[in-house]
Amino acid sequence: MAQHKVNYTQDGGLPVALTSIDKIVNWGRSNSLWAMTYGLACCGIEMMAAGASRYDFDRFGTIFRASPRQSDVMIVAGTLTKKHSEFIKRLYDQMTEPRWVISMGSCANTGGMFNTYATVQGVDRIIPVDLYLPGCAPRPETLQYGVMLLQKKIRANKAGNAQKAKRLM
Amino acid sequence: MRAYKSKDNVQAKAYYTDRFYVAPQVPKQDVDCDETFSSDLEAIKAKFEVKEAYVQVGQMVVYINAHDIYGVLELMRDELEYTQLSEMSAIDWLAKDNTFEIFYQMLSMTKRKRIRVKYFIENGQAVDSVEALFRSADWAEREMYDMFGIEANGHPFMKRILMPYDWQGHPLLKTYPLQGDEFAAWYEVDKIYGKEARDIIGPELRDTARVDRYDSERFSRLGFEVPKGTEITGEEEPHVESYQEEGGVFLVKKFDKESSKVIDDPQR
Amino acid sequence: MAQVKNRLTPFFENITFDRDDNELVLNFGPQHPSAHGQLRLMLHLQQEQIVKAHPDIGYLHRGMEKMAENMIYNEFMPTTDRMDYIASSSNNYGFALAVEKLIGLEVPRRAKVIRMMLLEINRLMSHLFWLATTALDIGAMTVFLYAFREREYLMDIIEGYCGARLTHAAIRIGGVPLDIQDSFLHQLRVFLNKLPQNIKDYEDLLDTNRIWLMRMEEVGTISTEMALSWGCTGPMLRASGVAWDIRKEEPYELYDEVEFDVPFSDKGDNFARYRIYMEEMRQSAKILYQCIEMYEKCEKDGQTELMAHAPKYISAPKIDIMTQNYSLMQHFVLVTQGMRPPVGEVYVPTESPKGELGFYINSQGGPYPYRLKLRAPSFWHTGILTDLLPGHYIPDVVSIIGTTNIVFGEVDR
Repeated sequence: MAQHKVNYTQDGGLPVALTSIDKIVNWGRSNSLWAMTYGLACCGIEMMAAGASRYDFDRFGTIFRASPRQSDVMIVAGTLTKKHSEFIKRLYDQMTEPRWVISMGSCANTGGMFNTYATVQGVDRIIPVDLYLPGCAPRPETLQYGVMLLQKKIRANKAGNAQKAKRLM
Repeated sequence: MRAYKSKDNVQAKAYYTDRFYVAPQVPKQDVDCDETFSSDLEAIKAKFEVKEAYVQVGQMVVYINAHDIYGVLELMRDELEYTQLSEMSAIDWLAKDNTFEIFYQMLSMTKRKRIRVKYFIENGQAVDSVEALFRSADWAEREMYDMFGIEANGHPFMKRILMPYDWQGHPLLKTYPLQGDEFAAWYEVDKIYGKEARDIIGPELRDTARVDRYDSERFSRLGFEVPKGTEITGEEEPHVESYQEEGGVFLVKKFDKESSKVIDDPQR
Repeated sequence: MAQVKNRLTPFFENITFDRDDNELVLNFGPQHPSAHGQLRLMLHLQQEQIVKAHPDIGYLHRGMEKMAENMIYNEFMPTTDRMDYIASSSNNYGFALAVEKLIGLEVPRRAKVIRMMLLEINRLMSHLFWLATTALDIGAMTVFLYAFREREYLMDIIEGYCGARLTHAAIRIGGVPLDIQDSFLHQLRVFLNKLPQNIKDYEDLLDTNRIWLMRMEEVGTISTEMALSWGCTGPMLRASGVAWDIRKEEPYELYDEVEFDVPFSDKGDNFARYRIYMEEMRQSAKILYQCIEMYEKCEKDGQTELMAHAPKYISAPKIDIMTQNYSLMQHFVLVTQGMRPPVGEVYVPTESPKGELGFYINSQGGPYPYRLKLRAPSFWHTGILTDLLPGHYIPDVVSIIGTTNIVFGEVDR
């Protein structure tokens, strides 16, 4: 057997990193969070701004996808009305697991200033929410911070287990 | 015993009005003050009955009979150059005398004048559609039907436009509460999960000012965050939510504040 | 607990597949990335061609008109932000102007100048946003990134003024709440000096771009009669051959003192609308330069008033509230009970970036409006899709929706 001086386990050795399955899977999941463009109202504009030139969401591995089947995280940005509520459930059901939901802005969190007959008082009445971002509308920085917190949450998960049902329904 | 509140107008009302308060009026001028308006009014008067006409804030208001509306708008469009119907809708006077007031906001681009044509209809009466004259009335009349329940005769597609087709009630009626009725409150739950899920999901929380720091299910105290559902004792340690774990993250660089650069002028 | 299945039925159960006429029904939206919000279109197709279009709106209906009936006038101001959320100050202004006309207020000159600056900055922001999104829909990602960069500079200026990026609530009934910050004029000048070059960059990228021309020229042609009949206003109407700009024809604020041109075109197609948006940006810059001069003249003349003086309706300046008893009492009454405009009704149109934004207010002398009707331009610009889309092909739908510049906050209100 050939003698060589390379220490595989140290930095500067061959590109080998020893880790656990959990860590590598979570690394992959948390750093390529493909977001579903769910821009409903004003917050959707800030979501676009977060993806555009100054804020540049691609740094986080977050790329906006139009299809629920390709996306990991649904950013509900804006007012959810009762007429629309059916569709958010349909689209959420189409997303593949593991999936996460960020509720962006006051309207999505609680109904916000629209305390009226036509507004759903918080998207968590219909789908489970992982992260609530306050603000009307939240700044793009808030959304990016939120995504970083979500990455932290994902890293704390066990990768092997199937995702537990997040709420009663 | 609770005081009786009338149900015919459930909108917000002033909780105190001075006994001697007399509301001033927005001044109404005679139509003669403006040449264009007076000649237009003459043209309308020649063919149709005009109940009342005056000028208010630079725009003429004309009251006509309900059945004349198609003719009046046709005359205005074809002969008086009022080529655009900017807006039309209704005002709910059911509490006062069981009528709706319908207004049509007309615009003439050549004369630079605006006229508001108005009339009253009884509750339950339908209006004549002007969709054949102005296509914009198509959606405006549908919206009026949606919001007030006033139907338009001769409209090609008289269905709700803003609310879902299976909605009950007409939201802009004064009898309809701002936060909706029983049907509205459970609409999305009933539709998606069914009535039996009402107990699990629970009623809507409509109190915007409600804050309960002992409820860790719904509220989170800034700087004192705890996992969801933890019992709050009031002796929580302050804690800063960092976006990276202590000791670094696998394959991810830690953000270094020291080596980052702050840009003062964004438009550099 | 076990997962409970939802009871939503498959979506296409109410569509018959074995049709006689060989038509395909295509559902577009309500959550489509290029629907500019929550537009839902039911398109009947013959091959690739649309034979019938049925726009379905209301997916963002939040009941603003109902809210207005339950709110005192000043309370409603932040709600107007959420109508056309791309250019929220123009909504604030439309509402403020309507109430001012109702109670017959004259706004101090300095406040007028500041308002005009805000309005034009909003117009620029809106048009830049329009350009960015439309270009993105058609596939020109570069323009999207460039236009958003310029828009961020404007947002910085606005943010320095009112603290918010998107929902400004920067205008009050009777004036503006505060003077512009020190860096405002400087930042604005720097931006305006760069803007012509920026616009030229966009045009260089787009004007002769073959894909852009194919998607834009001779697509979505609106005739003058159709535009008038559907109640189109703003750039939509101007692209169809009517040079109607409310700023010019029924001047409000100080628009009769500034010099600007109203661009219009006879073509009526997508490309004409695009050209008009680009030209309006230049005109807005022209107005803004004049506003800066007017503002500096106000400063020289010592006009410092920002709010109209009308103790019955408008709170006194903060310094008076803090020092004078009567002003404090007035302020308390105005905040808790609200102003009570005279009995009457008013319809006030203003030229928002999208078109004619009108507020119809019926006041019965109470602190709450009896009826408030919002005449939002996008509502009619969405309606016209019914007549406009038939005859076009599926890819044209996206470019037509793009150039109509609809914002669903104001379509559904």
